[in-house]
Amino acid sequence: VLVLSRRAGESIVIDGRITVTVAEIRSGEVRLGIDAPRSIPVHRKEVFDAIAAENIAAARGEMPDLKKLSEELGKGGPGKAQSPR
Amino acid sequence: MKIGTTRFGSLDVDESALVTFPAGLVGLGELRRFAVFDGPAGTPFKWLQSAERPELAYVICDPALFARGYRIAVTAEDLSPIAVRQVSDAVVSVILSIPDDWRLMTANMAGPLVFNVPRRLGMQLVLSDAAWSVRHMVFREAR
Repeated sequence: VLVLSRRAGESIVIDGRITVTVAEIRSGEVRLGIDAPRSIPVHRKEVFDAIAAENIAAARGEMPDLKKLSEELGKGGPGKAQSPR
Repeated sequence: MKIGTTRFGSLDVDESALVTFPAGLVGLGELRRFAVFDGPAGTPFKWLQSAERPELAYVICDPALFARGYRIAVTAEDLSPIAVRQVSDAVVSVILSIPDDWRLMTANMAGPLVFNVPRRLGMQLVLSDAAWSVRHMVFREAR
């Protein structure tokens, strides 16, 4: 792992087209400005990791009873129209 | 072509029926080729079966089945890996996680799948919107 020291306002350039700038440092938190082509996805690692972990977990099921699940979803009862958490 | 699967045995899938994920799935970037086929007749589910890893298969469905307020904000650039030109070509699905107790079924709303249906391309998005969870409870009563 390459470790660089940067002060607020300083940047690093990756591959000539991605610039990461330390925008602000305060009380244990660093704010980063990332200037990259829109075709390069940038994610918070914990979100990326959570989805990766779920991709592994969701493949563990064997042969669920999909007819039963379909009936339950269709009942219009508990399964309907969950709002965001 | 034949693909080996642990759940369905050997599947004979037409090459043109495979879907390519140019970037794989999140955390599984090396898996590019999947077969998509319908679940049991009369159900809204589909299977997404890896053509490269026999044990890797997901039950997927339209999130509107249980979460009507679900919306994804994406730009054309976000969908550039699957070359979506018009919204009508894109179909969104979510991966379900189905434990033995079906009432505890969850859906990965933070990492939805988007398919370019005519081009048979797919990708998994990473939503930074914290409103939707990777383990969204599908059945409300099950908590």
